[in-house]
This record gives sequence, structure tokens and C-alpha cells, in this order.
Amino acid sequence: MPAVLSARDLHREYHMGAELVRAVRGVSLDVAEGDYLAIVGPSGCGKSTLLNLLGGIDRPSAGTVTIRDQRLDQMRDADLTRFRLYHLGFVFQRFYLMPALTALENVELPMAEAKVEKRARRERARTLLSYVGLDGRHAHRPAQLSGGEQQRVAIARAVVTDPDLLVADEPTGDLDARSAVEILTLLRELNRAFAKTVVMVTHDPRAERFVDAVVHLDKGVLVNGTGGTP
Amino acid sequence: MTYPRLVWKNLLRHPLRTVFTTLSIALSIFLVCAVLTLPGALDAIIERSASNLRITVHHKAGLSYWLPYAYVHKLRSVPGVTAVNHYSWFGGVYDEPKNMFPNFAMDPETVGQVWAEYGFDPIALERFRKIRNAALVGEQTMRKFHFRIGQQVTLRSSVYPVDLTFQIVGVIPRPDSPLFWFNRQYLEEAMERYGGMRMVGWVWLRVARPEDAERVMRTVVDLFRNSEAEVAAETEKSFFASFFSSMQGILRVVLIVGFLVVGAVVLIAANTAAMGVRERIPEIAVLKSLGFQRRPILLTLMAESALVALLGGLLGAAAAYGILGALAAAGKTGAMPFLGPLASFRMSPGVAAQGVSIALAVGLVAGIVPAWNGARLNVVEALRRLF
Repeated sequence: MPAVLSARDLHREYHMGAELVRAVRGVSLDVAEGDYLAIVGPSGCGKSTLLNLLGGIDRPSAGTVTIRDQRLDQMRDADLTRFRLYHLGFVFQRFYLMPALTALENVELPMAEAKVEKRARRERARTLLSYVGLDGRHAHRPAQLSGGEQQRVAIARAVVTDPDLLVADEPTGDLDARSAVEILTLLRELNRAFAKTVVMVTHDPRAERFVDAVVHLDKGVLVNGTGGTP
Repeated sequence: MTYPRLVWKNLLRHPLRTVFTTLSIALSIFLVCAVLTLPGALDAIIERSASNLRITVHHKAGLSYWLPYAYVHKLRSVPGVTAVNHYSWFGGVYDEPKNMFPNFAMDPETVGQVWAEYGFDPIALERFRKIRNAALVGEQTMRKFHFRIGQQVTLRSSVYPVDLTFQIVGVIPRPDSPLFWFNRQYLEEAMERYGGMRMVGWVWLRVARPEDAERVMRTVVDLFRNSEAEVAAETEKSFFASFFSSMQGILRVVLIVGFLVVGAVVLIAANTAAMGVRERIPEIAVLKSLGFQRRPILLTLMAESALVALLGGLLGAAAAYGILGALAAAGKTGAMPFLGPLASFRMSPGVAAQGVSIALAVGLVAGIVPAWNGARLNVVEALRRLF
């Protein structure tokens, strides 16, 4: 399978006060289309920083990130933002749904920015909410949903523009055991049924049962992996 | 889901905060509209009550200096003058010192000619001429003190050592007129035992056409040049205008205070907008990571602030329009005689538009910095703070 995502010799350094933090050090990684990859490692090892670089919301200090032959590290801010809209989907640990909007409106939101026609986006949002098991919860606000349900809405929102790559940062971090398994299963289903490429950062030891590959990060360096091509 | 809906829903997230911000803007715009109405209201008073056909002749040194009564006779002979009358301030108080209104001794013979456009009741004028202690009273004073025609009214003078009792024989048909006119002869008789009365406050001249006024005024000034009491002459309109111009200082202070209120509201609204953006940093960061460009984020944040301000502006302007209109109506019907000049304040649609524009500007100014900061938010920095 061709690589959807390719990272080469990635470095990310930043200053925290007077201290220079080397969060990511020389990471190279290929993720093939349809892969479901987990990046694991201890807290503060640079997992989220690496995910931000792979997802195009941060820029590397050195190295390259390529998605579908497009160099993210060379794009202008506005182009990178547009690229994220159409090619990347994000799932966060704390869901970060818009609290004033209903589940349906939250899922519709990226399509509004993508200028999808109103009826089409509503239809697609409904279909996706049904798919993630939230039929009958369309009109509920985030505060009226459980953590697991909110994360399902967030996943529906992440895939609504049919992105090439789904990036998930600790998607089960704020969930109970049962909901965590449901979310891992849902991501697996999306990966299997729609060939969605998923890169996930996680602490969750259960995740290894669901993914195709696990790579370990320690102090910003990729140390080993099972499956995948680190 | 559309952007306007997103803006609306965000405004409803903290309904109490939105309502209070809207009301604070509404209150300030109400004040601004009332303050902006002041100059126009004064102009309207002058326009309504003053004429270019009437000329006032007074002492060159000011109204507190009186003129010899003999001037009245000399002024009758000035070419172009069709009628002459005069005012002498009586300073009368009705019952209590607080019950003051402008009362003047004058000539009952020429009231109908000098104030021809007032449309006096001829019977009232006839009685004013014939009855020695007759008085004509402005509608506003009639209403304020519940005077009736035929009523006897005693005024205690603060200028002359006399109390005089008058019989009201008619009204001065002007809704906002506080005047009280009576026959000078009656006062002269009362003053005989105190040495008589040989001075007059100021003199009114009537000319046939406005274009005669300039020439007549020049003639009058020349007539008394180098005399014991030199005079100044001006049309009634410019007389009132210069009288009101003495209020310009106060007016300026009121305007400044009004705009300081707006400034304070800008700061409050800006703080509210900044608070709203601060609270939503995670959401803004997430929106940007989902692919939202700066522009829609900037516009939606600005729109929230502008919409609250616009709503406040519309409320404030509508309240000012309604309340000042109601006061004017009440003033007209005499339901609230204590309103005085407030009853003349009619807010124009132009002032309402100015109020709404100021509110909108407040919203945009208050929202621009927080919205700009929100739109330029560094996603990684924001996410780092979150996770």
C-alpha cells in the first residue's frame, strides 16, 4: 500500500522559559493507506507534539511531513489550514465539541467551512451520527451526552469531510473502560469499513488489540515498534 | 449550521451576561440620544417661539440694565416700526418662593399687533385692555398652577416693594409659554407712593417684513448713540439664540459626560468580549485545527460583539424616542406640567440613527481586539495549555 503519511527526520524544539525542550528528535515514519497506528510512550515523551506535527497543526524545527505527496512543512498557514479541513480529521481527548451547538450541528460544522450545501451537509451529518450509534441524539447538546457519546460525535465530526488521515490524541483518555473499548472499536470499524487511515496517540494498553501497528516513543525518539514501518 | 446561527447560539450561552451587556449599552445610548437631542430641542424652542418680525431693544450693557421709559415713545416714531410694546420684569412670586414664572408689566394696547401671529382671543385682549389689573397667562403656567380664567392671583414682587392682585382674563396661546403679562399702568399706580416708575426693562418693536429688521435695528442703535443709555437691538430669534448660547457651556459639559458614559461602556463591552474569547480559547483552537480560517473566526467573534451592541443601540434609541415622545405628548396635554422645557425635547430619527451608529461602533471597537487575538491564536500554544 502506498504511504499516506510520511515523516522524515522530524525534530521539534521549543523554549520553555530559559530551557530548550527537544520534544521530538529525528523521527521518521511511514503510514500506509488503511493503517491503524498507535503511538505509545510515557507522559512527556513527545507523543502529542509528534501528532501535532503529523497533523499539520505544528511545524517541525527540522525534517519533513508529507501527506499524499504534499509537503505540510512548506505550506503557508492559510494553505495548511485549508489542507487540514479537507485531508485531516482530529479527535481530542476532551472531545471539544461546541457546547452551544447540538450534536448534529457539531458534526455539520466543518462542512459549513468547506462550503458544502446546507441540505447535503445535514444529510451527511445525520448519516454519520446514525453510523456512530447516536440516532435519536441529534438534537442533544454536548452537556446532555455522556463522555462516550460526546467522543462519538467528535469522531463523526472528524470524518465528516472524508479526510485522508484521522488523527486522534488520547481519544479514550477521559472515558470509562466500557466507553473506551466502544471508541476503540468504532475507530477500528472506520478503519476497516472505510479504509480510513488512523494515527492515534494513547496510553491505553487495550489499544494494542485494536490497531495494526504500535510504535514507541521515548524522550522524543522512536525506539521500536510492532508492525508499521518506523 | 450557518455562521449567523453559530453567532446567535454563542450569544445565548450566557443569557444573563448577554442581557446585562445589552442593557448597559441600551442605557448609555438612551443617555446619548437624550443628550444629542438637547441642541436640536433648543433650536426648536427658538424656532417655535421666536420671530424675525419682532425686535428687542435693550441696554447695550445687558438685560440687567434698564432703559428710560421715554425711549418707548421715541421708538414709536422709527420708520418701519408698525407696533411697540415693552417688558418690565416684576419678579413676582405666587404663594411660595419656589412658585416663580416670568412675569412682566407691559402695554395691553399693542399686544395684538406685536404678537399678531399668536392668535389671541379678541375678547381676552379686549378685557386685558379694559380691566386695570387684568393678566394674560401662558398655557404652561395656567396648567402648572391650575389657574382658571377669572381667577384672582396675587404676586409678591421681588423687585418692587409691592404685592399686586391680578385677575386672569385670558391665556397666551402658546403650549409651552410660562409667561404672565399685566398692565404696566397698574404697577405704575402702585409705585406712585414709592416715587413712581420711570424705567423699562426692554422694548419690543414689530416690523412689517423680515427684510426691514436690519435697517430698523441700525436706525434704533444710531438713535440712542452717545445717549445716557446706549442700546442694542436684535431680532427676537437672535435674542433667544444668544440667551440660549449662555447655556452652551453647560451643554458642552453634558455632551462630554454623555460621551464619557459611552467610553465607559466601550470598556465594559470590550472586557465582556475579551472574557468571552478567553473562555472559548479551547473551542477556537479546535476550530482552527479542524480547518477554520482566521477570517470566519474573526468575523463570528466580531459579529457577536456587534450584534449585542446593535441590539442595545436599537433598544436605547427606541426607549429614548418613546420616552421623550411621551414626555412631549404629556407636556402638550398638560398632564405633567412640571416637565417644563423637557416637554419640548422631540428626538429626531436622525438622532436615533446616530445613537444606533454609535452603539454599532462601540460593538466593533470593543470586539476588534479580542476577536483579532482569537483569530490569530496559535493552535499549538492553545492546545499545549489545554492538554
